[in-house]
Amino acid sequence: MSLPSILLAFAPAAWTSPAPSTDFYAIRVGRAETVSKGTIEHAVILVEGGKIVTIGEDLPIERGIPIIDRPDWVVMPGLVNAYSRLGLDGDGGDEMNPDVHAFDELYPASEDYAEVVKFGVTTLGLYPAGNGIPGQAVVVRPTGNTPEEMRVHDPAYLKIIMRAASNSKKLLRDGFKKADEYDAKEKKAREKWDKDQEAKKKKAPAKKPDEKVEEKKVEEKKGEEKKEEAKDEPKTEKSDAKTEEATYTPSEPEPKTKPFVDLRSGKLRALVSISSAAEYLHLLDAIDKEKFTWDLRVPMTREIDLFYVTDKKTYDLDQDGIGDRHVRVVMEPLITLTPGTMRQRNLASELARAGAKIVFIPRNDTLLDHERWLTHTAEMVNAGLSRDIALRALTLEPAELLGVGERLGSLDKGKDANFVFLNGDPFEPTTRIQAVVLEGRVMFGEVGL
Amino acid sequence: MRRLFRFGGNLALIGLALLTTAELSNARAFQEGGEQGGGDAADKSGDAEGDKEDGPEHFFAVVGADVYTGTGAVLRGATVLSRNGKIKAIGYDLDLPPDTKTLDATGLRVYPGMVAISSRGLVGNATGDFEDTIDPFNSRMVLGLATGITTTGTGNAAVKLKRFSVKDAVVNDKIFSALAWSARNPPGKRTLREKFVTATEYLRKYRDWEQKVKKDKELKEPSKKGVDVTVLAVLKGEAKAKFNAGARDDLLGIARLAQEFGFRPVIEDCQEGWTIADELGRAGASVVLTPRARLPKREDLTRPGGSSIENAAILHKAGVPIAVVPATESVDLGGIVGRDIMALAIEAGFAVRGGLSEEAALASITIVPARILGISHRVGSLEVGKDCDLIVTDGDLLHYETFVQYAVVDGKQVYDKEQELFFAHIRPRAPNEAPEKKLDRGESEVKPAEAKPEETEVDGEKTEEKAEEKKVDEPEKDKKEEKKDGDSNDHDGGSDESGSDEGGADDGS
Amino acid sequence: MVASRDLAAPAAATRSHGPRKSQPTREARSASALGVIGLALLAACASSRSKKPDLSPLDPNERGIALTCAKVLTVDGEDRVFTPGLVLIKEGRIAYVGAPREIPSGYERLDLQGGWATPGMVELHSHIHTGSWGDINDMVLPINPEFRASSALRPGNREIRLACAGGVTTLFGIPGSGTSLSGFGVLYKSKTHAGFDDVVLKDPGGMKVAQSYNPERRAGDFGATRAGLGWLLEDVSDKAIAANHEHRVDPALANLQRVQSRDLPVLIHCAGSDGFADAARMWKDKYGTRCVLSHGCFDAHATAQYIVGLGAPVNAGPRTMDYFSTRDGAITGTVSKYLDAGAKDLSVCTDSPVMPQEELFLQGSMSARLGADSYTMLRACTIHPARVFGIDDRVGSLEVGKDADLVIRTGDPLDPRSRVDLVLIDGEIQYDRARDGQWF
Repeated sequence: MSLPSILLAFAPAAWTSPAPSTDFYAIRVGRAETVSKGTIEHAVILVEGGKIVTIGEDLPIERGIPIIDRPDWVVMPGLVNAYSRLGLDGDGGDEMNPDVHAFDELYPASEDYAEVVKFGVTTLGLYPAGNGIPGQAVVVRPTGNTPEEMRVHDPAYLKIIMRAASNSKKLLRDGFKKADEYDAKEKKAREKWDKDQEAKKKKAPAKKPDEKVEEKKVEEKKGEEKKEEAKDEPKTEKSDAKTEEATYTPSEPEPKTKPFVDLRSGKLRALVSISSAAEYLHLLDAIDKEKFTWDLRVPMTREIDLFYVTDKKTYDLDQDGIGDRHVRVVMEPLITLTPGTMRQRNLASELARAGAKIVFIPRNDTLLDHERWLTHTAEMVNAGLSRDIALRALTLEPAELLGVGERLGSLDKGKDANFVFLNGDPFEPTTRIQAVVLEGRVMFGEVGL
Repeated sequence: MRRLFRFGGNLALIGLALLTTAELSNARAFQEGGEQGGGDAADKSGDAEGDKEDGPEHFFAVVGADVYTGTGAVLRGATVLSRNGKIKAIGYDLDLPPDTKTLDATGLRVYPGMVAISSRGLVGNATGDFEDTIDPFNSRMVLGLATGITTTGTGNAAVKLKRFSVKDAVVNDKIFSALAWSARNPPGKRTLREKFVTATEYLRKYRDWEQKVKKDKELKEPSKKGVDVTVLAVLKGEAKAKFNAGARDDLLGIARLAQEFGFRPVIEDCQEGWTIADELGRAGASVVLTPRARLPKREDLTRPGGSSIENAAILHKAGVPIAVVPATESVDLGGIVGRDIMALAIEAGFAVRGGLSEEAALASITIVPARILGISHRVGSLEVGKDCDLIVTDGDLLHYETFVQYAVVDGKQVYDKEQELFFAHIRPRAPNEAPEKKLDRGESEVKPAEAKPEETEVDGEKTEEKAEEKKVDEPEKDKKEEKKDGDSNDHDGGSDESGSDEGGADDGS
Repeated sequence: MVASRDLAAPAAATRSHGPRKSQPTREARSASALGVIGLALLAACASSRSKKPDLSPLDPNERGIALTCAKVLTVDGEDRVFTPGLVLIKEGRIAYVGAPREIPSGYERLDLQGGWATPGMVELHSHIHTGSWGDINDMVLPINPEFRASSALRPGNREIRLACAGGVTTLFGIPGSGTSLSGFGVLYKSKTHAGFDDVVLKDPGGMKVAQSYNPERRAGDFGATRAGLGWLLEDVSDKAIAANHEHRVDPALANLQRVQSRDLPVLIHCAGSDGFADAARMWKDKYGTRCVLSHGCFDAHATAQYIVGLGAPVNAGPRTMDYFSTRDGAITGTVSKYLDAGAKDLSVCTDSPVMPQEELFLQGSMSARLGADSYTMLRACTIHPARVFGIDDRVGSLEVGKDADLVIRTGDPLDPRSRVDLVLIDGEIQYDRARDGQWF
């Protein structure tokens, strides 16, 4: 029992089994920061097969169950860095490369992964390099011998860079124009298919299916812009039809078109990088009436002017502010200044109050700043950011951004057993990480199992 | 067209009869005369307005000020009312709709927003594609508004200083064909003339074909091969020929070229223009000049020459429209005062020094540049139907102590001296109000940490950080961060510099 | 009329910078600060001020002009303004200034309807004596106590003529700031057509030192750093002081000896708070010279309290605004910062040709725009620079007995719209817009 975990602690890179551990053990700590349901004092967690089986206050633990018994420790979910290029060193293109996958760039042998786990990071969203529309990010666990072993979820998001330059808007519009072309082509093909079906049915008359086809046509006209992939449509009526008749199979879009088709259908989400208030408005202008899920990446520069667009009201914007859209903002925990002054701002706080969701990432994509990630976040809490939002911004919010919010990011029953054990409150300056558990396996620290 | 007819209707209905409608009839003539450049812009704006009409109506009024309309009329203690960004009425005892946003400007003056014929940086760092690059949060835009500028020519476009919005700011983006004519480059002069000859010939053929093709549909369109498109645009009236020339010989050459080929040139610089004012007047030239420009007279020539402070006045007298621009076309915060774009009105004051009338000086920074930019049907003076772009000042616009107190663009207040840090401390409007408090819009977001037990344990790591901090801070003093270029490969580039532990992030300790 | 606001509202001016109050204080302060020579000079000034008007008719061989103006701004000790006013000029000096009265016989009469008469402006930091850039530094040695700008003076050159047409009548033409002890400048008048002897007011008029920025990266092997420069300056100063103690004249240091004995003023090029404070410490606190701190740009205004406390006068320009150093988001008028700190005898400069010499007044108007009192700014262009350079017995205000250096404008002298119609220097018309055409 304890032998392998000791081995792990000393040589995590030597870990070979990709399969989650089937070990069964209990954890008893002074406090658990669940993130989803607040704080549990005297928390007990049962872990089995790399998942949380149960969590609660002072739960009885059966005799004989191995136990991590640290009443002076605090446990919180493993940290999720949703925006990183740790361990990647590929080059990126400059313009339209939405079909690039960061997954293809993965280099499991990188020593960075073994290091970053020690700093509490159990999930990484890795994005492809480049300008313009550089491609799709992948969610990985920072351990494993092959890219497949590292992969948790793919794709996570399509990275789009929006700058106050004519090129940026054009790229985005071009992408959706291609999707338009695909839709038009598909619509024609679908109509033809429908006609053929009708003709077939006339040969072998059956009234009911006939009506249904008509119904469907009306529906299609209503949602002109919407995709007609009957297969993926969650609507129940259609699935009814599916069982009865032959299904139309849409053609596969071109690789560079597909991400935009997927954006529209909701299969893929976008993370748009902007660096100023102006670029946010240009983004809205470029998006116009297009509907897809997007969040924001905003690198915190010292005098960033993002406060102008946190909400619509303060500066009487003619468009929604970031908060009004309730999008996520991926940002560094950094105090900024009102341009030209020494007036400090806590943009995370401002954005959160306006309705945006905060996703923190380390100040720089270096190991050092991963190590100081909690400390830097604590500075934002000291400067007025709500503690709950700060905790979420390190765990559940990035998990949701990456599309793995159902699976990890909080201490809940059924979720991955990703834990960071601390010797005190996460935001106290003297607190240090004591141990890290990834999908049930002790990756770092002496837990006494 | 539709829009212009409505103007007429408005005027008749309201029946204020307070304003000269010169500019509007001017705009009409402008469009009917087939000057495509201006016409395009007008159509665009017409559409924009059409959109607005479907939505809710927004009313905005400036009340109580002395209104200098820029058309010669001055209305003491009058009201300017706008509806959806356009001026609906100017006058007395107006019925303000119930939800009108009102700005009390009693004791102040209202002028049309200034039009900077040329500037750099007010709408962002880019020099083109302003629809996609405008930065409406730019501090230089605020300083432009603080100067009183509400529209600026920049590059080949005319852009409004529409703060907080990236929509509908570009009024006209195909204004000029930049041409060169210089005694220093005789072959260039010959080539340009040849281009005009070729383009004129083509245009004649084209017009001929246009007539005949109605009858004979098979007739082939004349070939455009070898025709210079920029010159053709000038001859077709789609763009204005713009020259940058100061020497008398060059100016004469341009004047003759213009007369020969029948176009009205826009001439920048024009330092020796005063010596041949009549020729420039006859050629229908418009001039963009800096009254204070200094050019020594060539001592080897007996004819008049060199710069003259009277340049603007003399040219104006000869019927040449004058637009004034300061020596530095961008905002200069380096310390020299009175020579950059923020001194636009001061520069116009120097034209008055040279003998230009105060009215013409005001026109040289409002309606005349608007005309040169082909946007005078929308901005440059306060008239019913035009865009509600105005400034509220605490005195004579051309006086050196006068400050812009408010600026309004498209019927929306976008600048208030007391609300911005730049000038709020200088002769505050209401000294009783603590400006600090008013200025704190969403600022000081950083709340000090609650009293915490002192850190007992300062480990090596922490102290190391602090040492680093100091090092970072020192050279920071003069360093200006400009982080606008494209994404770098890792981490957007942005955070790398800013990410160091500086600023107030450590204020808790 | 052009000026919608009367700049000439000395009543308002007296509120904050009242001459009656400030004058004795200033003199008391100066008296304590200056040595015997300074006191003697002051006495001379005082005597010139108390001179009685001369209303006698002209002798047949005497020349005189009687100017009747819409307004006369004397900028004298009492800030008197006469609306309308009369100035009598006799043999190049002012014989009477005041309300219109009967003009004694023999005077040529000039009736300047609507004209505003002010004293000719005084510039303390100017390099146009050579007619262009160049000829202002040797760039070989960092310390040049024998260097004289007057060697390069070209009277009546184009720049000087423009200065005259802009109403600047007295200038301190100085070596550039490329070397540390840059040399000695010449005080001269901007007569448009005159020979050398006729234009020079004082040669040397004072010393020029460059103590920060420019000289640090130039000239010589010593003094590549500011500390090195400081050492060089103190070294040479100490030698001059030693010579003074021994009552001997070192031929190489003769003029520097005069600076150290407070016979000559010294204008110091220093900008930035560090350089500014350093210059004040050395030249005022340590050596007690009649120093004037020139430039005071960038963040130098942060030292305003210290400078004012030492009693070192400021000569501000060509940059009179600061945005980047305060980091409070405000555009700060540096001049108002000095004035708010209580600076006396503050003057402005163009550092021409950095800014055109004829636009000296604009340094005043722009400082007024950025918060300074406009009447004080008129003083900053006239009597203040004259006073700190000890030539206020001759120029800087319209008072009986002083040089008849007058500028007639169409209005407010700080308003760019006001044209200069007439400039008289030593009672002679140097520029007449009607006669010469408008130069500026």
